[in-house]
Amino acid sequence: MNDVPTLLEMRSITKEFPGVKALSDVNLVVRAGEIHAICGENGAGKSTLMKVLSGVYPYGSYDGQIIYQGSESRFSDIRASENAGIVIIHQELALIPGMSIAENIFLGNEPRKHGAIDWKAANRMALDLMARVGLQEDPDTLIKDIGVGKQQLVEIAKAFAKDVKLLILDEPTAALNEADSKHLLDLLRGFRSRGITSIMISHKLNEIEAIADQITILRDGRTVETLDVKADGVDEDRIVRGMVGRELGSRFPDHTPKIGEVFFEVRNWNVRHPISAERQVCKNESFVVRRGEIVGFAGLMGAGRTELAMSVFGRSYGVYESGTIIKDGKEIVLKSVADAIDNGLAYVSEDRKAIGLNLLDDIKTSTVAAKLSKISHRGVLDEVEEYQAAEAYRKELRTKAPTVDESVSKLSGGNQQKVVLAKWMFTDPDLLILDEPTRGIDVGAKYEIYGIIQRLADQGKGVVVISSELPELIGLCDRIYTVFEGAITGEIARADATPENLMKQMTSTKKLASR
Amino acid sequence: MSRIKDLQKNLFGGTTSNARQFGMIFTLVAIVLIFQIWTNGLTLRSDNLIALFQQNSYILILAIGMLMVIVAGHIDLSVGSVAAFTGILVAKSMTEWDLPWPAAIVFGLAIGAVIGAWQGFWVAYVGVPAFIVTLAGMLLFRGGNQFIGNAQSIPVPEGFRDIGSGFLPEFGPNTGYNNATLLLGLAAAVAVVWRELQARKTRRAMDADPAPMWISVLRMAIMVGVIAFAALRFASGRVGTSFPISGIILLVLVIAYSFYTRNTAGGRHIYAVGGNSRAAELSGVKLKRVNFFVMMNMSVLAALAGMIFVARSAASGPQDGNGWELDAIAAVFIGGAAVAGGIGTISGSIVGGLVMAVLNNGLQLEGVGTDKVQIIKGLVLLLAVAVDVYNKSQGRFSIIGSLMRPFRRDDSVPPASPPDAEREPAKAAVSG
Amino acid sequence: MRKFFGTSVVAVSAAAMLALAGCGSGRDGDSDTKGGEAKGFAANSLIGVALPAKTSENWVLAGDLFTNGLKEAGFQGDVQYAGASTTVADQQAQITAMVTKGAKVIVIGATDAAQLSTQVAAAHQAGVKVIAYDRLIKNTPDLDYYVAFDNFKVGQLQGQALLDGMKAKKPNGPYNIELFSGSPDDNNAGVFFDGAMSVLKPEIDKGNVVVASGQKDVKQTAIQGWKAEGAQARMDQLLTSTYGSKELDGVLSPNDTLARAILTSVKGAGKPTPIVTGQDSEVESVKSIVKGEQYMTINKDTRNLVKETINMVKALQAGNAPQVNDTKSYNNGSKVVDTFLLPPVAVTKANAAEAYANDPKLAPLTK
Repeated sequence: MNDVPTLLEMRSITKEFPGVKALSDVNLVVRAGEIHAICGENGAGKSTLMKVLSGVYPYGSYDGQIIYQGSESRFSDIRASENAGIVIIHQELALIPGMSIAENIFLGNEPRKHGAIDWKAANRMALDLMARVGLQEDPDTLIKDIGVGKQQLVEIAKAFAKDVKLLILDEPTAALNEADSKHLLDLLRGFRSRGITSIMISHKLNEIEAIADQITILRDGRTVETLDVKADGVDEDRIVRGMVGRELGSRFPDHTPKIGEVFFEVRNWNVRHPISAERQVCKNESFVVRRGEIVGFAGLMGAGRTELAMSVFGRSYGVYESGTIIKDGKEIVLKSVADAIDNGLAYVSEDRKAIGLNLLDDIKTSTVAAKLSKISHRGVLDEVEEYQAAEAYRKELRTKAPTVDESVSKLSGGNQQKVVLAKWMFTDPDLLILDEPTRGIDVGAKYEIYGIIQRLADQGKGVVVISSELPELIGLCDRIYTVFEGAITGEIARADATPENLMKQMTSTKKLASR
Repeated sequence: MSRIKDLQKNLFGGTTSNARQFGMIFTLVAIVLIFQIWTNGLTLRSDNLIALFQQNSYILILAIGMLMVIVAGHIDLSVGSVAAFTGILVAKSMTEWDLPWPAAIVFGLAIGAVIGAWQGFWVAYVGVPAFIVTLAGMLLFRGGNQFIGNAQSIPVPEGFRDIGSGFLPEFGPNTGYNNATLLLGLAAAVAVVWRELQARKTRRAMDADPAPMWISVLRMAIMVGVIAFAALRFASGRVGTSFPISGIILLVLVIAYSFYTRNTAGGRHIYAVGGNSRAAELSGVKLKRVNFFVMMNMSVLAALAGMIFVARSAASGPQDGNGWELDAIAAVFIGGAAVAGGIGTISGSIVGGLVMAVLNNGLQLEGVGTDKVQIIKGLVLLLAVAVDVYNKSQGRFSIIGSLMRPFRRDDSVPPASPPDAEREPAKAAVSG
Repeated sequence: MRKFFGTSVVAVSAAAMLALAGCGSGRDGDSDTKGGEAKGFAANSLIGVALPAKTSENWVLAGDLFTNGLKEAGFQGDVQYAGASTTVADQQAQITAMVTKGAKVIVIGATDAAQLSTQVAAAHQAGVKVIAYDRLIKNTPDLDYYVAFDNFKVGQLQGQALLDGMKAKKPNGPYNIELFSGSPDDNNAGVFFDGAMSVLKPEIDKGNVVVASGQKDVKQTAIQGWKAEGAQARMDQLLTSTYGSKELDGVLSPNDTLARAILTSVKGAGKPTPIVTGQDSEVESVKSIVKGEQYMTINKDTRNLVKETINMVKALQAGNAPQVNDTKSYNNGSKVVDTFLLPPVAVTKANAAEAYANDPKLAPLTK
């Protein structure tokens, strides 16, 4: 492969922040026309490296050289790198929800005629670009009216509008369902065949294995190795070994479930959408949870799993219509989150930054936030008890932070998730609902979180896990419900669970025979 | 660790989170120092200190309520109008309906509560943004003031004036000082020593080393010295003057609300709502109740501030409350509160308010005109917040914060394995 | 709590260290300072002058005259204006600061004459003489003197000029007029209005003069804060509601700023210029009078008023009783204040050149 010309070479890149060396002596060689994956745990320096490349950190703020298309590049800002054909698509999409697809594609790059925007040309060019990324929509459609998968395509179309030579994708499939992910990966293959070079950052190792030509692995701000997928015969385990620096045995801790009686039951649950009342988001759903059991909920994005969980959790989503909740043989009515907490329910949300944590808080305050009554006497908080509780959970969950006075915003995703878990464990719940508990968390931390979940179940609590990663559900759960369009369509025991039969139930309209 | 480091770490509290407040305190000290020299000692003379407290107590009282409103993520533009509206009604209640003045004060607080409930209802239960509700309130209650008062000034009786212009009484043997003020100072000194001892106990219970004993003693000595000095200062004003009653009201409120916001569940809920309302709601915080409370509380404090101003002015007038909301909001932001909510302290806001007050007073003593004073105050507000924003964007909490950081690291146990904390400070809040 | 505590430590300790530096004054009693009746004071003493916000050029002029006049007389002058929005609080703070600085006499042009009694009392207790300038400070026994133009006379002159002007233009009535008055928190506004009405009321009762809108009550005619935009808005509304077909013959305006706002409104509506009165001899209004738009203004020569005030200060300095010419009329609610009244002069196009002959700024405009 030595005959393939090199498009980009980053040489000995070192980037320091006050007190922290984020990158030290990192090297990256990308050949023209390949898909190059960058792997590493959170905090390994992947995003920083891409920011150096795209000019977010301008020339002069780092050490080392960037050789692009044969000469040294010194980008002063993002515009400079974009002019050179390097376009980065961030994990958080940079689209304006209230504007149309065409307006977004040409934002800051509008085709002009006599100084005014030429909308006719813009729409025509937009259609052309959309065809190239396989997006079939009216260019006048507003961004907020299309799904995340299609939004991602708009971002890529936007990149093409800027005449991209090197496309950088940061976690492109993180928010996508299986079908959209597959479409995106196919698209990348198509680009490759047309000679466009891509760099892809991803946590999803199976995708990387399937699509990448070369993989560069970063760890702790250093380059570990660059693997050639075909020549080196790389598989997922090989990548993981590079990322964590050791062999990782099983992806899931060993666990023998101790399953008891059914103690929690939801019957005939019906909920309507909070704004458009004609939409029913939960259609007569029923499920049970036993003590000591880990119950999974599988479904595509938008199937209504989060909506079900939140509506059960003190009606914190949607408009309750009908249905009963039975706990320990007695019907309970949960009209508010406070009711739900008092009745031993806990809900760990899928988006810990937006709705799970107050990022201004420190670990201590976050840990006790959902049950202040436990550390207060006549309404006055006891600082010592607060500290002791937080410290106990920090040790138990092995949260990596110097002290519990550390701000949660400074923690990595995995450690933030541990703080959220601590917050809900502190409320001493009987039933924990965990919504995407490992999203955006690296491999090592995932393993720990699985261990925590299993320990909670072993304490006799019921645990509900909502996840979009089928291997996770299969590896962790004792029983899995499948959800499709607001209805429960199947119930599969651990022994029978395979990705194939889960997927079948997740996409079928056949309803689970009502019990 | 050397003694110097001990001193730096422990004397000023030691964490970065209140670094901003140190910045403001140093600014305050610098301003006081500059004016003390510039005015040849007038700034810290008894009569000026007394006047400073009397002139600003009502703004500082507003700042307490405004801090809570801003921490919860709202704003209240109506405080001046609510104060004026309450002021005119209370003045009328005494001069025309012959209400005795203590009853009139209760009446005034009740008006504040009713107005607060009105505004709180729209903000919390209907969901109209507080900016709009209180902008409406600003017009509504200003108009109400003019409607009721016919834009005239209504005098208030003697007894009532004490809450704005009264002083601690003179009693006991002639010591050459005001005895009541001396007793107040003594009580404060005892409280300070008690608190320091309590704080040491708490530190020990939290497995943290309390500051070395000599630092605690030094700290107590400084504070007791300061209190003693301040008490003597206030007690040695002209006969008939001493620590002002409005200052005592302020002091009580500052202590009570500081305790409430820091040490109670209710107070913590306000920070939770302002920091992330959805997260707070999903943690069982009753969002509506918190929002209703902060808006209502603000109006009650505005009513109190209005009454104190009327009492000090001896009459309620149509200009009352003009521009107060801006002074209160400025104090809160100079004191380190975040525009987006969730961050800020009562003590910080009081310091912020005092910075403005001392600046105002010093410039007036120097005979600088109000036009220039306004320009200077505007620049100070902009600069204070800009420095903070700049420092945050640089990944430092503040200059002083970064100076303190090395000392803070010392007392943390180094993690057993390399920390996997996000390495990019600026990105930390976004990625992961 | 600990953080709060630490913070307080710094604040308080810093304040203390500074305070220690400025320590050392003994406790003054009332008796020490009150004894100095009519003994006078040092010729280079500090004299404070607290004026309202700079809303009219008259106050700006007064401030300049005080600054220069006090300096010429050998005093240290400290002339302060209230701020634009927080007027009353500013003025209160300024007066207190002047007392702190050791002023011997404080001249106050009050923003709200009812809200300064606490500060005046404090000044009095500190042995400071207080002179109310132009506006009588209410409800305080501690006010020493009052200097002003005869404001009732001002109103009378305005009323008379309005009648004369309309008669000259249209020999026979009835005349349609509208009434405006000043800010209700200004003691003088009512006096102007009463003075004018003392002349107009008999004519209105006779039916010779008609307030076509019917708005005769001072509550209806008052313009809060003497604000031009307030007057203009009210005039706009009157023109729409009342003068669709009727002709407006005259408007009683209490001062020049409002008079010009009223004229702007009338012009905007495309109506013929009515007879409009004024007061204060502002530059723009004098120009307007010369052009034949505004009918009259009052010349209350601020120079004379400031001169008389400074004369009072000089007398006090020498330990003499200042000259007053009215010890009966001005009761502020607590006492009758010794007053020096100056006579105002009505100015129309006819006598403008003569009236402003000695005014360096206005004289050229009349030529």
